[in-house]
Amino acid sequence: MSNHDDKPTNWQDGVERNIFALFLATALAVSIAGIVEIVPLFYLKSAVDYTEQTDKYGNAKNEKFPELVWERTFTEDAEGKIVSEKALYKFDKNGKPMMADWKAGDGVRPYTPLELAGRDLYLREGCYICHSQMIRPFRDERERYGHFSLATESMYDHPMQWGSKRTGPDLARLGGKYSDEWHVMHLLRPQDLVPESVMPAYPWLAERQVSEDFFGTERDMKKRLSVMRTLGVPYTDWEIENANKAIEGYTEMDAMVAYLQVLGTMVKLDDSKVYRQ
Amino acid sequence: MAGHNPWPDEGNTGHIWDEDLRELDNPPPLWWMLSFYAGFIMIIFYTLYYPTIPLTNNSGEFTKGLTGWTAIEEYKEDFQVLKDWRVAKFADKEEQLAAMSVADILKDDELKQYAVATSKVLFGDYCAACHGAGGAGNPNFPVLADDDWLWGGNVAQIEASIKNGRIGNMPARGMMGNLTDEEIDSVTDYVIALSEGKGNDAAFAAGKAVYAKGMCLACHGPMGKPLAPAGAANLTDQVWRFSSDREQIRNVIANGVNVKKNGEYIEGTRQAIMPAFKERLPNADVNVKRLAVYIHQLGGGQ
Amino acid sequence: MDTTAQPQYDNGVVKYLTVGAIVFLVIGTFFGTFAASQLAWPALNFDIAEITFARLRVMHTNTVIFAFGGMTLMATAFYTVQRTNGVKLWSNSMAWWTAILFTIGLLLTVVSISLGMTTGKEYHEQEWPLAIAIAVVWTMYTFNFVMTIAIRNKETHSHVYVSNWFFLGMMIAITYLYVVNGLAIPVSLFRSYSMFAGVQDAMIQWWWGHNAVGFFLTAGFLAIMYYFVPKQAQRPIYSYRLSVIHFWALMFGYVWLGAHHLQYTALPDWTGSLGAVISLAMIIPSWGGALNGMLTLSGAWDRLRTDYILRFLIISLAFYAMSTFEGPVMAAKTVNALSHYTDWTVGHVHSGALGWVAMVSIGALYHMVMKLWKTEMYSMQLINFHFWLATIGTVFYIVAMWVSGIMQGLMWRAYDEYGTLAYTFAESVAAMHPYYAMRAFGGLLFFSGAVVMLYNVVMTIRMANARASKPVEATA
Ligand code: HEC
Ligand code: HEC
Ligand code: HEC
Ligand code: HEM
Ligand code: HEM
Ligand SMILES: [Ca+2]
Ligand SMILES: [Ca+2]
Ligand SMILES: [Cu+2]
Repeated sequence: MSNHDDKPTNWQDGVERNIFALFLATALAVSIAGIVEIVPLFYLKSAVDYTEQTDKYGNAKNEKFPELVWERTFTEDAEGKIVSEKALYKFDKNGKPMMADWKAGDGVRPYTPLELAGRDLYLREGCYICHSQMIRPFRDERERYGHFSLATESMYDHPMQWGSKRTGPDLARLGGKYSDEWHVMHLLRPQDLVPESVMPAYPWLAERQVSEDFFGTERDMKKRLSVMRTLGVPYTDWEIENANKAIEGYTEMDAMVAYLQVLGTMVKLDDSKVYRQ
Repeated sequence: MAGHNPWPDEGNTGHIWDEDLRELDNPPPLWWMLSFYAGFIMIIFYTLYYPTIPLTNNSGEFTKGLTGWTAIEEYKEDFQVLKDWRVAKFADKEEQLAAMSVADILKDDELKQYAVATSKVLFGDYCAACHGAGGAGNPNFPVLADDDWLWGGNVAQIEASIKNGRIGNMPARGMMGNLTDEEIDSVTDYVIALSEGKGNDAAFAAGKAVYAKGMCLACHGPMGKPLAPAGAANLTDQVWRFSSDREQIRNVIANGVNVKKNGEYIEGTRQAIMPAFKERLPNADVNVKRLAVYIHQLGGGQ
Repeated sequence: MDTTAQPQYDNGVVKYLTVGAIVFLVIGTFFGTFAASQLAWPALNFDIAEITFARLRVMHTNTVIFAFGGMTLMATAFYTVQRTNGVKLWSNSMAWWTAILFTIGLLLTVVSISLGMTTGKEYHEQEWPLAIAIAVVWTMYTFNFVMTIAIRNKETHSHVYVSNWFFLGMMIAITYLYVVNGLAIPVSLFRSYSMFAGVQDAMIQWWWGHNAVGFFLTAGFLAIMYYFVPKQAQRPIYSYRLSVIHFWALMFGYVWLGAHHLQYTALPDWTGSLGAVISLAMIIPSWGGALNGMLTLSGAWDRLRTDYILRFLIISLAFYAMSTFEGPVMAAKTVNALSHYTDWTVGHVHSGALGWVAMVSIGALYHMVMKLWKTEMYSMQLINFHFWLATIGTVFYIVAMWVSGIMQGLMWRAYDEYGTLAYTFAESVAAMHPYYAMRAFGGLLFFSGAVVMLYNVVMTIRMANARASKPVEATA
């Protein structure tokens, strides 16, 4: 039993008498778990299917499963601009952005400006509240949604959108399942296409220009891509500089559909291969 | 303060806060302490059984538990159980589905029944969002449960539709894109007349002429009935691919279907894209056939 | 010590926070009931962007957890820390700033989320300017709390009372986890990108996410329990040693659990397993708290018939025990495989959130109202009525979600006699309708109870103020 002498009778008695000691002891107790559970995820290669980012440009490669990432190398040109031998997107003769050297199945790549803008809207509308983007390795999920999700597939997702509730179906492999037209109609009024749906309608997406952000400010994709690069998502300087042009003239609906249509189409996974331990 | 303990005999620790807050010196209940220790023992067994250690071996794999359990192993085993069960029960049928052509499957009643029975959820999860429950159609998406086909209702054609997808194409303002607003109005009336069986009425002669001028017959056939299915709608029946509303029909003629300019859909054009499913469906080789059989029997297979 | 000498405490800020908490309970459960109704009848989205389901739901979680829960924690911490240390707050003005800025921060959070500004991280949706403000306010709260304990008279109050340990643990863990999880780079005033991506982001997100539960919604409310249960029951804490053991077990153990939200995801298996095994081991430490509370009450059982506030406290302990049993069960691999992504999780959440967090708060808030305004309640019968509305509402809610959750999980994985999936996803959506309606009804009951509480408290305060208008109260 503890008592009222000046001397603590044991360790516990000591921290109960000294609030700062209690503070430190508690702080220590709550710190251990994070160190054990989180820190290894930053350096164990198996945590991201052996995908690695190898240099200061954010170059990604995977020696074990090369098909998982779209590999391109970055260098600095004479003016010190970051360039690459392969381009993510380019403009066609009408000034419309289009994919350049990447095609579906070539591996995980950064989002194009329009897709990234669409992803921002996906967050804004809170789609992750009802839709997961994380297929688990279960036979029923394989049959309903497709191959289970891999860590590499969300390596450029700041933040990830795995979700925790399936009020609606998983969307991790949605791309290509429906036409653009279907998505537009569905987002305008889901119950027209799926009578039992409880999904809200998003008519305002079709009315707003994606280049406009809150309170009439500009949605500065240039800034967004360059912040992404700071965080390790590799873009060339050209891709950053032209990012605002690449969303010009599109509605929020176009951007949202562009994002939905790329989900799960980046890598082509082979059921007979074991990508995860 | 111990001297001021107003509850000297209840066995408290001797500390008193806020006048009457005090703690008894009871030990925790025994069952609780035992369970608490049991928790530690459980942790030991669990961490031996499952992978819990964030260390890797030379080839970079994380440390497994003693049993070698991994989620992926569990998944593969689970799937195998299902596959084995299917093989045990329906191996012959699944093999037949895989080996036979859709046309031959249709000839075998039992096999056909089987294909249909195993298609329900496949259709519901992958197709019904566009084609409606049971293929009853949705606004802008064709009914599959009738005998009106854009791309053909024999099983091979249905199978091709599912496998490779379909894109309907119709030019705006006629083949040459040169129909005037008045001409479009009169051909619209003519098309509606066609569907009502009044295509030969003198009242629609003007529209009939525009129909020829616009070369509509190239796709829709001389009298509104396509000579061979290639995506164009049959205009002689009451089944409307898009809408029976006059304004909407006029719009299809004025702006066409899937018409693009400079890589963008033109304003007002109808979109009609059926995605390709040959890679999308699980176990696609067999499942495409299964669905073709299913759709064929919905009502209008030829 | 002269026990008759009443130290004069700083009550103004506590009064403000107490009323604020009740107001936010009403608002938050209104949002919840509204959101629940939208899932039952989607037309209630009205095509208004600001109140579509997803945004409303995030407004709901932020209002109930951070505004209602946070203000309750601030009110009770400022109330109890003075009384258990026999001193006034280290800084009364700092406490006022904390309370006011926290209110403004949370109101802005709700408005900004309704406008669509969000980080997209569950339970951490505030965008960076608000997140920074809230972290600062939280630090002020912690600092004031610690300093108040530090300046206590060590002669009369040699030891720090157990409720203060739990408050302290909550404050430390929440600051630490909230800040790490919130690390981000702004791209505009309204938007930032998380520093972390993919698997690392997921682990950090749920390391925080679970401990918004484990520390904010559990440790903090255990602190409340440790003061208000013995006070209201007028009984000593049953076992000091039990307090010590389960305190340290919770502090050390809870932080590991986040990974149970990520089992079978793209994370390496060892993380999920670690989260699961420590979760299982947490049943007993969690029950330590519930047990200590219940055993404290034993001997005062007869008072349950007359003391409605005590009823709230005791039922909250029952729900606490239940949800901390259910949680670990749901963390077990085979169960989680079924329950994850379903309404079962939502049912579990609310057996904790309604049954435990809200009930224990309501008990403490009623207790404080009577003490702070030195009066009886306007109507004891209304408290009783509130008790039944809250209890029946909670039961409706969680029963509906258990049924719908388990049904959902089973429908998704069901195979028919041909070995093909038995139900389409849309069929599972349609099957949820009756349960969503039932949940909305339960929510309506619970919300009505909150309204009754607000009315009762407002009438009580008016009554007390009218009576006390001769010797004027310091602050209202
Ligand atoms: C209230 C919950 C809810 C919200 C919020 C929600 N959805 Fe849905 N979603 C559903 C439900 C239920 C379905 C299944 C029925 C259907 O197809 O409409 C669905 C289906 C879908 C589908 C079809 C998926 C498939 O494979 O069939 C897409 C795509 C989709 N939602 C996208 C979105 C996007 C984008 C948002 C945000 C802008 C969103 N959803 C917000 C509930 C929701
Ligand atoms: C994104 C919406 C969409 C989905 C999903 C979809 N379809 Fe289609 N389908 C269409 C459209 C649009 C057409 C008409 C194409 C045209 O007009 O050229 C069509 C046409 C067809 C046709 C040809 C009909 C005819 O009249 O010739 C068949 C058969 C068909 N779909 C079957 C399926 C099956 C089976 C599935 C599921 C595996 C499916 N569809 C999924 C949109 C869809
Ligand atoms: C190059 C081929 C082509 C030509 C030429 C063509 N059409 Fe079409 N038409 C189509 C196709 C393909 C569709 C159906 C699109 C779909 O369902 O995918 C269609 C659909 C229609 C429809 C809608 C039918 C319904 O059921 O909703 C009308 C009306 C129509 N055409 C009228 C005309 C007229 C009038 C002309 C001439 C002025 C014309 N078409 C020229 C290919 C053509
Ligand atoms: C030892 C105690 C507990 C354990 C081990 C535990 C475990 C769990 C588990 C396994 C899940 C589901 C994760 C998933 O599949 O997505 C969950 C979800 C949740 N629990 Fe608990 N739980 C405990 C106590 C509580 C308590 C007391 C509350 C009080 C409010 C609570 C609130 C929540 C919330 C809010 C979620 C939802 C998280 C989300 O958004 O997905 N839990 N918990
Ligand atoms: C009238 C009472 C309430 C009602 C009707 C209600 C309703 C809801 C609804 C409909 C959801 C969304 C569930 C979904 O997405 O399917 C939700 C989520 C949530 N609510 Fe409540 N709620 C109530 C009270 C509370 C209280 C008092 C708290 C906390 C103290 C709380 C905490 C939460 C949390 C943490 C979630 C997120 C759960 C998750 O992500 O899994 N709720 N609530
Ligand atoms: Ca959640
Ligand atoms: Ca048809
Ligand atoms: Cu948790």
